[in-house]
Amino acid sequence: MSEACDGIEGLEQCLQAMPDLVLLDWRMPTMDGMDFLARLKEISADRMPKVLFCSMESDPRRIAEALAAGADDYVMKPFDGDILESKIDEVGALKARVA
Amino acid sequence: MTPEDFDRLQALMASRAGFALSPDRMQLAEHRLGPIARREGFHNVEALLNTLWARPIGSLGWSVIETLLNTETWFRRDRHVFDLYASELLPALAQARSGRPVRIWVAGGGSGQEAFSLAMAALEQGVSVDILSTDLSRRSLEKAGRAIYSGFEIQRGLSARAMLRYFDPVEDQWQARPALRQIVQFERANLIDPLPHDLANNGPFDLVFCRYVLGDMLPDARNKVLEHLHGPLVDNGCLILGVDDKIDSKSFRQVAGRAGLFVKGSGRHQRAA
Repeated sequence: MSEACDGIEGLEQCLQAMPDLVLLDWRMPTMDGMDFLARLKEISADRMPKVLFCSMESDPRRIAEALAAGADDYVMKPFDGDILESKIDEVGALKARVA
Repeated sequence: MTPEDFDRLQALMASRAGFALSPDRMQLAEHRLGPIARREGFHNVEALLNTLWARPIGSLGWSVIETLLNTETWFRRDRHVFDLYASELLPALAQARSGRPVRIWVAGGGSGQEAFSLAMAALEQGVSVDILSTDLSRRSLEKAGRAIYSGFEIQRGLSARAMLRYFDPVEDQWQARPALRQIVQFERANLIDPLPHDLANNGPFDLVFCRYVLGDMLPDARNKVLEHLHGPLVDNGCLILGVDDKIDSKSFRQVAGRAGLFVKGSGRHQRAA
């Protein structure tokens, strides 16, 4: 598991080793979550990881926007470990790794 | 709370609802009774219990029982059970019912997440279902009837897509839309008693869910509950228990390789499983 403090650093990490799952905030320095998602799709080709948006945004229109842009699921803050676990399970992000 | 108080609480839970209250839950019981004592105007838990022992029959006893029940639930708990329901049980039952609604009883359905999970899957499949969800806890039933869930509750087990499709934001909470709510009827029922006639008179149920209830019950009560689940279920109908729930019953047989799935009867092959 690795952490990135902004979108550019996150994309660099993905280029070095594409993860199975990306937890993505909407509001980030240098690049917002939607821009990050668009760039991630470009660089990941057929290795696109599962993407969970995690954001303070709870407006249904914004959530729908993130899903339409390609996020696999969306987590509204605040959340807890049970929610995160159920979301990761639901998108099947770790299925391939476990198998 | 004294050990004697706890003994009497155990007896109350057992006689009225069939639930076991294990000795390691004494502290938890005291912790949970605090808010009830305040709500009912008692100075402390001791005063509440003294009144309860003086007048053990009545609503105060039920309030105490309800607060000691394990009411934890969430949407699509044990995801694979709901996947099995949506991909195998529901299509088979819809075919067998020839367009008539599939009838489902969620016994011990708590605050509604399980029943609404079943209803959502039916809407996705375009299958007509009638769902009865019963519980002992009036507080849980009130919540289920309002169908309003916090941000934490709505997100546990439910995808954002399903949340947007079936729930509307109400301030900082989420309420099930009418299309979902009209599928589910919530009623109070004590599983150690037979299902009241007025709740069973629309005909037998094709499926009964009773998940994570039996494990907390005393053996005699568990057998009684199984009888009461057996009666209103169609022949060869399916009973779905919690994946860890174990039963010893001649009335149901477990489907091999399907944790928690049982079929009524021991003879012919089941209709839907």
